[in-house]
Amino acid sequence: MSSLPNNIDYDYLMKFLALGDSGVGKTSFLYQYTDGRFHSQFISTVGIDFREKRLIYTSRGRNHRIHLQLWDTAGQERFRSLTTAFYRDAMGFLLIFDLTSEKSFLEISNWLEQLRQHAYSEDPDVVLCGNKCDLHDFRVISHEQAIAVADRYKLPYIETSACTGYNVSAAVELLVGRVMERMENAVANAELARLMSNTRLNAINPQALRMVLQKGEEPPTGENVKQSCSC
Amino acid sequence: MALNPLYDDIGKGFVQQYYAMFDDPLQRPNVANFYSATDSFMTFEGLQMQGATKIMEKITSLSFQKITRVITTVDSQPMFDGGVLINVLGRLQCDEDPPHAYCQTFVLKPLGGTFFCAHDIFRLNIHNTA
Repeated sequence: MSSLPNNIDYDYLMKFLALGDSGVGKTSFLYQYTDGRFHSQFISTVGIDFREKRLIYTSRGRNHRIHLQLWDTAGQERFRSLTTAFYRDAMGFLLIFDLTSEKSFLEISNWLEQLRQHAYSEDPDVVLCGNKCDLHDFRVISHEQAIAVADRYKLPYIETSACTGYNVSAAVELLVGRVMERMENAVANAELARLMSNTRLNAINPQALRMVLQKGEEPPTGENVKQSCSC
Repeated sequence: MALNPLYDDIGKGFVQQYYAMFDDPLQRPNVANFYSATDSFMTFEGLQMQGATKIMEKITSLSFQKITRVITTVDSQPMFDGGVLINVLGRLQCDEDPPHAYCQTFVLKPLGGTFFCAHDIFRLNIHNTA
């Protein structure tokens, strides 16, 4: 375990949430993105999980080092409605449905309503993902149906397979691009700017803080916070 | 009523029987028999219900097919009215979801020669309310 005192060598920390009905493949999707593998199961006892990945976002000839945190409900939505605390500090959302499940498709509007209520803004960045596109034979939602819903809510739509990895990175990168664009264009975007700088201060929650500490990093200090947001 | 000296066996026996029934989709509707039509309370993830009908509505609305469970501890205490207080600490896994830790508290009340579940409080152990 490296314990360099200044391990915060990125420009932005971004927290994204994966949302959608149970069984649409949120966990597998995130696993595929961070590990490039498909897991049908993994062990966790904390109830809510995040996976992390670094990437470089290039815009206007400038490279931005981004530390992505991808949060997962780990199935708790079967038991309870997700609380505001869960949505707290998230800058972007992957709204995932299952192309082989009509119910998960119909629930999109409910998830968007939840987002409007709990997210940092009434109009946050969302990428709609039709997952399990590898299961051609079981597909019940056509591309046209999905596009129609995406248009209605003005969301970008992408078809993915957490199993094969198809378009998984593309979906996440699309969301990164959206959030970065919003930030760069956004003198007016005080909410997002506040979020980007607050995340460093609060480290999201005590659990997240603990996980950071376990990696041998220092808790955020005033100096680190300054580096985290150049807006 | 006096303290029931068999409280520990009753607690462990109930928990085993209750979950065996709850975890089997075919038998799940029968957990209704543990509750009173009027005198049972359930608090499920903060939602309160009273009576077997409302409790069963909640239980049958849960969206998983398969549930597997590992019980870590069952702690019981006798109560002065002859009842038994039971606290369960365990983990459960629904379908292919990651496992969750949970705790569940039951109060059994004596009724004739047997018991019914008068109180039932369930929570996943998720600490994201910072």
